Amino acid sequence: MTKQLHRLAPLILVVFGAAAMLGARNLGLGELSAPGPGLWPFIVATLLTVTGVVVLFIDDPEDYEPWTRGTLGIGLGLASLAVFIILFETIGFLVSAMLMLLFWLRIFAREPWRWAVPLAVLGALAFHFVFVELLSVPFPDGVVFAPMGS
Amino acid sequence: MDILDGLGQGFSVALDPTNLLYVFIGVLIGTVIGVLPGLGPTATIALLLPITYEIEPVTAVIMLAGIYYGSMYGGTITSVLLQLPGEAASVVTTFDGYQMAKQGRAGPALGIAAVGSWIGGTVSIVGLVLLAPPLADLAVEFGDPEYVALTALGILLVTYLGTRHPVKSLAMAALGLLLATVGQDLITGTNRFTFGSISLFDGFDFVAVAMGLFGVGEILYNVEKTEKAQALKSKIKDIWPSRKDFKDSSGAIARGSVLGFFLGVLPGGGGVISSLASYGMEKRRAKDPTRFGKGAIEGVAGPETANNASSTSAFIPLLTLGIPPNVVLALIFGALLLNGVQPGPQLIDQQPEIFWGVIASMAVGNLMLLALNIPLVGFFVQLLRVRAGILAAFALLVTMAGVFSVNNDVFDMWVVLVFGIIGWLMKKTGFEPGPLVLAFVLGSILEESFRRSMLISGGEVSIFFTRPMSGTLFALMALVVIWSTVQGIRRRRRRSRPSMPGEEDLAATGTTAEPEGTPGYENTDDAAGAPAGAPREGSGSTGAPGSTASKAQDGGPGPDRG
Repeated sequence: MTKQLHRLAPLILVVFGAAAMLGARNLGLGELSAPGPGLWPFIVATLLTVTGVVVLFIDDPEDYEPWTRGTLGIGLGLASLAVFIILFETIGFLVSAMLMLLFWLRIFAREPWRWAVPLAVLGALAFHFVFVELLSVPFPDGVVFAPMGS
Repeated sequence: MDILDGLGQGFSVALDPTNLLYVFIGVLIGTVIGVLPGLGPTATIALLLPITYEIEPVTAVIMLAGIYYGSMYGGTITSVLLQLPGEAASVVTTFDGYQMAKQGRAGPALGIAAVGSWIGGTVSIVGLVLLAPPLADLAVEFGDPEYVALTALGILLVTYLGTRHPVKSLAMAALGLLLATVGQDLITGTNRFTFGSISLFDGFDFVAVAMGLFGVGEILYNVEKTEKAQALKSKIKDIWPSRKDFKDSSGAIARGSVLGFFLGVLPGGGGVISSLASYGMEKRRAKDPTRFGKGAIEGVAGPETANNASSTSAFIPLLTLGIPPNVVLALIFGALLLNGVQPGPQLIDQQPEIFWGVIASMAVGNLMLLALNIPLVGFFVQLLRVRAGILAAFALLVTMAGVFSVNNDVFDMWVVLVFGIIGWLMKKTGFEPGPLVLAFVLGSILEESFRRSMLISGGEVSIFFTRPMSGTLFALMALVVIWSTVQGIRRRRRRSRPSMPGEEDLAATGTTAEPEGTPGYENTDDAAGAPAGAPREGSGSTGAPGSTASKAQDGGPGPDRG
């Protein structure tokens, strides 16, 4: 069974393609002489489905990299990015950026605290300066520097 | 417009102080990320896309172009000194460049690479100046069916030439085309695949998709692989090559320039393929091919010249036809579109300052690179001390803040994250994000041209085949598909894969060709004492490089394609 696991990726593509074909048909294919909004999506979704089916059969299992402990770490990293986006919306850029940098520098770069903390603080301040002061990007109001940011 | 007038205008644009500054920034960033193994030109350009909103379109393209050809110089440095290619186009340089460094000839290797790159770039600029205007004149005559044919051919060739698995890449191209249809249909106003989300009415933002797939996806993929710090052992001295070095490599530089120029113009071409092709060609031509892999200077000069020549000539199809020939150019194409500039045959007449300004800036930038590289090699090598983890943390933060700044919309940050996950999963499963992004950029042009063609012809599909130009292009496409299918079947029978020019060399050394614009692979694990498979201890080169050399005679589907 695990030998067939690599076929999951093309299978997802096939399912996705087939769903898009159905969706495109519902949009209205129209006629070739008067193409509807769904005609082009239908054509490319068909291409996706067909190539997906071909890959399903001919693909080389060696192409797929094994899942390792490192993979788990990436999941953690992705979660941290999601947390960053949520924090960014609620408490602004500066604090969330510091926390994110600190997390990445400690966990992934494995920097010692004496490097990670200053790097995170200075990095977040530098980015705040570039984006908010220089480029005047309206970041969401934060808990620190809020009046300046808006 | 006369070529001389155009060049005059171009240089007045390129020598404008602001643009001069951005050329410099571009080539400097390019060199730096060329040195850093974790970031390639694609990821960097993707990360910097938001900045292009802040500056003039011509300035933006000048800077992005500088990053692209600058990275070709930078990648050389680590290839030669540490056998660690900073980006994919410099992988072949490790074969002979690192051997030269071990023999104490790191200086001449870097010197000849810089000089060769400069010559290749210059030859390519001259070719660009001569070839682009007539090509644009020809393309002005193109109608919608021709555009369908040309765009489709571009996508097809990119999926077939630059990648390892044509069918998988084609599936990704189809996915890219499908994603491009999300949002309001421009002709009927129908909402397509928006699922009621207001943020999706305008479709996926190109910047967010590109930053997700290339920026976040690639960073995550690289973080997953642990890497060790590299110590520099070889001393760099006598960087200026001797007269004998120049004599030995002059032929390789000349051939590399021409080869790189033509492979760059070809859709699917670019630095990676041309450096491989040049290496293969030099080895085949050499009187004594066994020298290759043991520090032959031609093996450094040829590929380095070729990759720089091709990264310049790759602008020809973009600036004259509006078709990006590879992924890096697709990102630059996207940057132009974002700034309201439609690259294509009209560009040269309607916005000559962009067309000629970019060309002139490349001449300026190549000179800057030559001036930067020779004295500053030692400084660039120090950059390797920056650990990949730190780089990743800051790059991710730039990505997130940058993508927000484009539309001031948090939704785009989620799009980046989702496409980052997709990009990382694609890398892990052997699907390549390049064709997806290329197809995504070209999707709406292709659809519009297709629908207009159908309206013109009253639904007759034959319109694509009866017009001489589009008919020829479609015939060409059919040939590509048939040829590659036959190759694929034969390959499956033989169970050996090499088909790209020079790939037999790579296969022999245990590497595979990376797609255009990716960072070089890293030292992954304990076995990575010799990343390219070449023996690191001693010079008993009977191993991998020796076997590479013996394969040189049996030809194979080599660079004669160019």
